[in-house]
Amino acid sequence: MNKMTDGHTVKSFNDEMNQLHQHVMQIGELVRDQLSRAVDSLKDEDADAAREVIERDRLVNELDIQVDDEMVHIIAKRQPMAKDLREILTVGKIVTDLERCGDEARKIAILCVHFYDHNTTSPSDVILRDIVKLSDFVDSMLDKAIRAYDELDLELALETIRMDMDLDTEFKSCLRRLSTFIMEDSRVVGHVVETVLGLRALERIGGHAKNIGGYVVFLVKGKDVRHEDLETVAAEIQSAT
Amino acid sequence: MTFQIDSGTDLPEREIDIVKESVSADAYSKVNRDDRKTVGKITHVDARMTCRNVNVYYGDKHAIKDVSLDIGKNEVIAMIGPSGCGKSTFLRCLNRMNDTIDSCRVTGDITMDDIDIYDKKMDVVLLRAQVGMVFQKPNPFPKSIFENVAYGPRIHGLAASKTDIEKIVVTSLKRAGLWDEVKDYLEEPGTGLSGGQQQRLCIARAIAVNPEVVLMDEPCSALDPIATAKIEELIDELREHYTIAIVTHSMQQAARVSQRTAYFHLGDLIEVGDTDMIFTNPRHQLTEDYITGRFG
Repeated sequence: MNKMTDGHTVKSFNDEMNQLHQHVMQIGELVRDQLSRAVDSLKDEDADAAREVIERDRLVNELDIQVDDEMVHIIAKRQPMAKDLREILTVGKIVTDLERCGDEARKIAILCVHFYDHNTTSPSDVILRDIVKLSDFVDSMLDKAIRAYDELDLELALETIRMDMDLDTEFKSCLRRLSTFIMEDSRVVGHVVETVLGLRALERIGGHAKNIGGYVVFLVKGKDVRHEDLETVAAEIQSAT
Repeated sequence: MTFQIDSGTDLPEREIDIVKESVSADAYSKVNRDDRKTVGKITHVDARMTCRNVNVYYGDKHAIKDVSLDIGKNEVIAMIGPSGCGKSTFLRCLNRMNDTIDSCRVTGDITMDDIDIYDKKMDVVLLRAQVGMVFQKPNPFPKSIFENVAYGPRIHGLAASKTDIEKIVVTSLKRAGLWDEVKDYLEEPGTGLSGGQQQRLCIARAIAVNPEVVLMDEPCSALDPIATAKIEELIDELREHYTIAIVTHSMQQAARVSQRTAYFHLGDLIEVGDTDMIFTNPRHQLTEDYITGRFG
């Protein structure tokens, strides 16, 4: 519950908006848990755990559909305006991005199954090291983005957007590092290519977290900053209205 | 927070302090009068009517407090706010309908095309032809459909012949979107039409005298959704020829039909701006609380 969802004369409207908010938080937690479990399955070389992550993606999809359904009902019943309208639009976009984060976590789990569920050689820890490292950073971005939405915290939203630039830099460094493994030993090409796909999934999750940061700015300030540079977003956050 | 309003050339630029987060509806009545200033652009680049520092008193009751607002040519401006906020009172100032209330006193300047409508020499009957009005409840005369529309042009001498009158009646009924439904029943009593048709007849009657402005005071509140949709469609078409000021309790209607919206609260004009902005990202906390159903 926050000032965006509360305070209506019609109390059931508050309840519906709060429920919507809670479901977004629930999807957020679920997606972060999926990411964590997918990366853990890689670390633990546990294909069964990875299969569980793949199966659990269904829960994210179901919640996504449920939130969409709730939004349709609120729009039809309440005809929300101003900040209520922005909240609904923002929720619609956030859950779409979170659902895609779930898909990316699933891709990492599929990677684990490829690596450890066949009678092939497993990749070395050195090759997979970047996935673990990058996943911590991306999880931190997701955490900040979700908290920014929950607490309507523009500074956290800005931080998430800023972190995406660092993520891009780190992603490129990872690619360079991995290419050196191929140069040293061409037999690892298969593992490196799959690892790059895993890194790419993490980079996309970071991109979705950045998007959520932008939606929070729209929610609070009413200004669409999706395609603006960091300085413009920061200036908008500092502005009076 | 500090807002700068563009007050046009005829008013000095004013700086307005609005603490968006802290002025709740309850707290507002305690805010010093000097701090109650309109947020948004009160001026219009092509103003048909100009209101400056308008105050209305019903006896001792101060119903409208220092309101300044332009009403632009060929625009639909919606006036919204909780019951008793003064929106209808303000609307009635625009064609001096408040003159009919003994205890009512109006101060300030209201001009139409630079002519002071409160000038002692102003012909109020002519003014009310130029600034027509449509009320909440349809009020056709107990006469035929034809006579309802023909009456105004006839008493104002707008037609030289019977043919002219007929032409005005047909044009007005067509513009009001009623012609196809009544063309074969013009001699039937206007009171025999449905509520929605009666309201469109009243609109036809108002536009038959060739007004510049049409005031509408909750014109759809007594109508069903289909009749309401027809009136809303009509308002959009009428905008091509007339300026329309509409008071409505339906926020959705205000959002659908108007280009600008003015929000009134306790007799003050709190905020005015583009309708798109008012209903998606209002600048004043009171406006936001009202349109999102957070007080009232």
